[in-house]
Amino acid sequence: MRTADLIELLARDVSATPPGVVSRRLLAALVAGGLVTFAIVALVLHCQPLAAAAQQSWFWMKAVYTGLLTVTGALIVRRLSVPGSRLGTAPLAAVLVVLAMLALGAGQILSAAPAARLTLWLGQTWKICSPLILLLALPIYACLVVAIRRLAPTRLARTGAAAGFAAGALAATLYGLHCPEQAAAFVATWYTLGIAAATAVGAISGRWLLRW
Amino acid sequence: MLQQDQTEERLRPLMIRSLAGDSGAHRELLGVLGRYLRSYFARRIGAAEVEDLVQETLLAVHLKRDSYDRSLPFTPWAYALARYKLIDHLRRRKRSRHVPLEDAGALFAADDAEQGALHTDLDRLLQRLPDRQRSLLEDVKLQGLSVEEAARKRGVTAVSARVMLHRSLKWLNQALRDENG
Repeated sequence: MRTADLIELLARDVSATPPGVVSRRLLAALVAGGLVTFAIVALVLHCQPLAAAAQQSWFWMKAVYTGLLTVTGALIVRRLSVPGSRLGTAPLAAVLVVLAMLALGAGQILSAAPAARLTLWLGQTWKICSPLILLLALPIYACLVVAIRRLAPTRLARTGAAAGFAAGALAATLYGLHCPEQAAAFVATWYTLGIAAATAVGAISGRWLLRW
Repeated sequence: MLQQDQTEERLRPLMIRSLAGDSGAHRELLGVLGRYLRSYFARRIGAAEVEDLVQETLLAVHLKRDSYDRSLPFTPWAYALARYKLIDHLRRRKRSRHVPLEDAGALFAADDAEQGALHTDLDRLLQRLPDRQRSLLEDVKLQGLSVEEAARKRGVTAVSARVMLHRSLKWLNQALRDENG
């Protein structure tokens, strides 16, 4: 087939595309994956008594931390799914949010009585927290991968890492509905580690999964 | 730089009209892009492979065009896509896939209207399409029928003919990618 014939053929396959397709597809993926993860949290892990928890500042501290990371992660994914677009300030914002949380956790540990520090840091559930967040991130990551492949990522490992990061952060937000831990030091460590693990899984698998 | 600005000013409106459903603008855009791609690839891979990669990249531009954000410049989008296809091509052939990240101007530095030799990857793959899809594609390609005319000839609705054509193109894109991969 001559290239001119191919172009002629492609010109017959033109239909109008509404603007905003990229954001809509990624948002739909986050919602779809988020619903699956929410169902697992609600049906398998069970939510803590939410009316009481919502009165507490630690509940919102967790939600704001992971929520901000979800938003910045989604913005980075959006940029990376479009060829040639610049990353902008979202990665810096994500780093600053994590640093602020680490500072908050460190401050809490330092100001606590030495005997209470280990309990604050490990809580009751430190062993399962990060692995659960990683597992809960997988449905969201899978939905994001499907959506991103239909777009045009050109830096696959980086895009995979960003998708894993966004999936991990949203999973951590939903996990907060279940997890009764209250300490900033706990969240700064084990939540962050779970999100980091999801980021690593994305970076490694994105190179293969996101090829188009 | 000035030259690239002019390229941008020329191509971006074409892309925006193409996204709005203007097939004339789409044809013109792909024609211009094809000439730049040919020259860009010719400076980086063997002459025998250039035209196939041009076609593969044009198909990708066509199928991935809804990832273009109308508020952003067009030439960096096209350059990043071309570079991705080049790296993918080198990887499939197990060659060094180091392609320096340049300014988008690298793609638009020169153009070449002369079509090179064809391996005709596409023609070979066309033979593997299901009969109905292939005959529709050939009606449109070889006989220059509009999709509506081709649909009438094959006794299907125009809508399903459109869907079939689009699916065939997507399948070809996938098959090109998977072939040596």
